[in-house]
Amino acid sequence: MRLRNGIAYAFLAPYLLIFATFWLWPIISSFLISFQNTRVNPWRFAPSLNWGRLVGDPAFYNALYNTLIILVIQVPVMIALATVMAVLLNSPLLKARPLYRFAFFAPVVVGEVAYAAVFRLMFSIDFGIVNKLLGTVGISAISWFDNATAAMALVIIAVTWRWAGYNAIIILAGLQSVPGDVYEAATLDRVSKVQQFFHITLPLLRPIILFCVVLSVIGTMQLFTEPFLITNRGGPGGGTETLGLLLYRQGFNSLNFGYASAIAYTIAALAVAISLLNLFFGRQAK
Amino acid sequence: MAGLTLTNVVKRFGALQVVHGANLEIADGEFVVFVGPSGCGKSTLLRMIAGLEDVSGGEIAIDGTVVNDVEPAERRIAMVFQSYALYPHMTVRRNLSFGLQMNGNPKEDTERRIAHAADILQINELMDRRPAQLSGGQRQRVAIGRAIVREPQVFLFDEPLSNLDAELRVQMRVEISKLHKQLGTTMIYVTHDQTEAMTLADKIVVLRAGRIEQVGAPLDLYDDPANQFVAGFVGSPKMNFLKGRVEAVGGGSITVSLIADPSVRLTMPVNSMPAEGTPVTLGIRPEHFTDAGAGNADLKVAVDVAEHLGHTSYIYASVADEALIIERPETRHSGHRQDFTVGLPARRCFLFDADGQRLR
Repeated sequence: MRLRNGIAYAFLAPYLLIFATFWLWPIISSFLISFQNTRVNPWRFAPSLNWGRLVGDPAFYNALYNTLIILVIQVPVMIALATVMAVLLNSPLLKARPLYRFAFFAPVVVGEVAYAAVFRLMFSIDFGIVNKLLGTVGISAISWFDNATAAMALVIIAVTWRWAGYNAIIILAGLQSVPGDVYEAATLDRVSKVQQFFHITLPLLRPIILFCVVLSVIGTMQLFTEPFLITNRGGPGGGTETLGLLLYRQGFNSLNFGYASAIAYTIAALAVAISLLNLFFGRQAK
Repeated sequence: MAGLTLTNVVKRFGALQVVHGANLEIADGEFVVFVGPSGCGKSTLLRMIAGLEDVSGGEIAIDGTVVNDVEPAERRIAMVFQSYALYPHMTVRRNLSFGLQMNGNPKEDTERRIAHAADILQINELMDRRPAQLSGGQRQRVAIGRAIVREPQVFLFDEPLSNLDAELRVQMRVEISKLHKQLGTTMIYVTHDQTEAMTLADKIVVLRAGRIEQVGAPLDLYDDPANQFVAGFVGSPKMNFLKGRVEAVGGGSITVSLIADPSVRLTMPVNSMPAEGTPVTLGIRPEHFTDAGAGNADLKVAVDVAEHLGHTSYIYASVADEALIIERPETRHSGHRQDFTVGLPARRCFLFDADGQRLR
C-alpha cells in the first residue's frame, strides 16, 4: 500500500512542484511582501507602511469606487441579459441552435487585444459606428474616451458583451436540466408562460445564477483588460481606473511591489467577502 | 365529469405517422386503459387528449365539444406524469395549491380542495416536505393529489406506476382503483403492463403501431381476442402459439394438426372455412391445458424448466422447436428434459390465420 502511495505521489510530484513554486509560494510571498517597504534597497520590514497608505490613499478609493460601480451595474445587467439569452436559446421554436450557442460564446475566445481594438474603433468619436447610429436617432456624438461617465459606460458595455454569452451558456445548461414535463404540468395547471418563468424557471435556476454571480464578482474585482486597453489605461484621468489597474500601475510602473501586494490582498478579500454575502443572501432567499 | 370521443384521430411527426385514424368512445365516468408495447402510440394519444400534442387529423371531443384547438389549460383535464413532474422547489402543499393560486382561485376554496385531496390520499403529514424528501410512492400520491385539486372532467395517467417497485405498484394500483370508485370521474390510463390494464380497466384499448387493435372489457379481451396480437398481449403468462395446418374441413368445423406433432389433431367449430392445407396458428393459454386424457387431444412436451410457486407451477417446455408455457395447479414436476403429457381442450383453443386474424 505504502509503495503504491509512493508511486502515486511520484506521478503527482511534477504538478505539485509547479503548483508550489508558481502558485502557492507567490501567494504566501506577496502576503509577506505587503508588510515590507519595497521602495528601498534592500527591502525592509515595515508592517504598517503599505496597509497604512492604503487606508488613506485617494487613488485606492477612486479605484475601489470605480470597481464597485462597474460591479453593481454590470453584474446584474449581464446576468439578467444572460438569463434572457439562455431562455431564448432553450426555446424549442429556435432553429439552428448550435449556431447561436457558438455565436454567444464566441466573444470569450476572441483575443483581448483584438476585441479592444474593435471596440475602440466602434466607439471612436470621429468615425465610430456607435456614434453614427446614435446620430440617426438624434443623439449627438458622445466622446466615449474623454468623458469619465461615458468611459465607465463603455467599460461596462464591453465587459457585458464579452461575458454575457459565457454566462448564458452556463445558465442554459441549468435550464436544460429542468425536466420538460414540469412545464407541461404547469401548462395543464393553467399557469401562464410568464408565471412559469418567474415561479418555476427562476427558482430552479437560483443556484446556477448564484454561481454565475459569484464568478462575475470575482472577475469584475480583478477587472484589468478593458480599462487598460479600451479606455487608455484607466482614463480619462483615472475615471475608469479599477483596483486591478491600480495594482498593475503600483507594481509594474512604480515597481512598488509592497503596496501592489497589499492591493492584491484587498481585492481578494473583497471578492471573497462579496461572494460570501451573495451566497448567504442567495440561501436565505430560498 | 365528461365523456370523450375520438374520431379518426391522426398524429404525424413530419413524414412519420404514429397514430393512424383512432376511433374511440369513452363514456362519462369510465376507466379506460390504453395498453400496448413501447412505441405503439398510446402516450401520444393521451398527450393529444391533454392538448400537449397537436392533432394532425380527425377530432377529439370532450363532453361533446371538439377541443382540437382548445388550449390544454382550458380542457378541464388533469394529468399524472410517469416522472411525477412535481415542482421540485415547492413543498407538497404548494405543489397542490400552485396552479389554483396562479389562477386566482379563492383561498378558502383552495384550502378546502387541498384538505380533501390530502384526506383521500393520506398525505396530511407530508404537506411541508419537498419532493426530494419523499419516497417514490409518496411522490406519486402528491402527483395524483395535484390532479385531484383541479377537480377535472377527465383524469389522464401516463404510466404513473412504472417507476415504482413491484410491491408498491400493486398497492398504488389498488388505490387508483379505489380513487376512481370514490370520485367517479372519467379516467384514461396508459400502461404497457397488461396486468395493470386487466385489473384497473372498465374498458381496455389495445394499441399496436398506432392502430387500435381491439376495444373491450378486460375479460372480453381475454376470452375473445380479435387477433393473435391481442391474444398474446392480454393474459399473463402470455398465450402459447403453435404452428398448425388445416387437415379437414366440413360440417361447420375444421380439423387442425400441429406441425410440431402431426399426430395431435383438434376439431374446432368455425364459421369461416379455410382450404385444406392452409397454415394456421393454434393459441392456448398456459392455464387452459388439462391433465392428459381430459382434453380433446394429448400433447407430449419436453420440460425445460419448472417454476413452483406453491399454489401453481409454470412449466417451461418445448415440443419440436416450439416453446410453451404450461400452468398446472400444484404440480411438482421438476424433471429437466422429462417428458410430460398435457391435454388440449378444443373449446379453450383459438385459431388464427396466417395474417394473425382470428378464425371464428
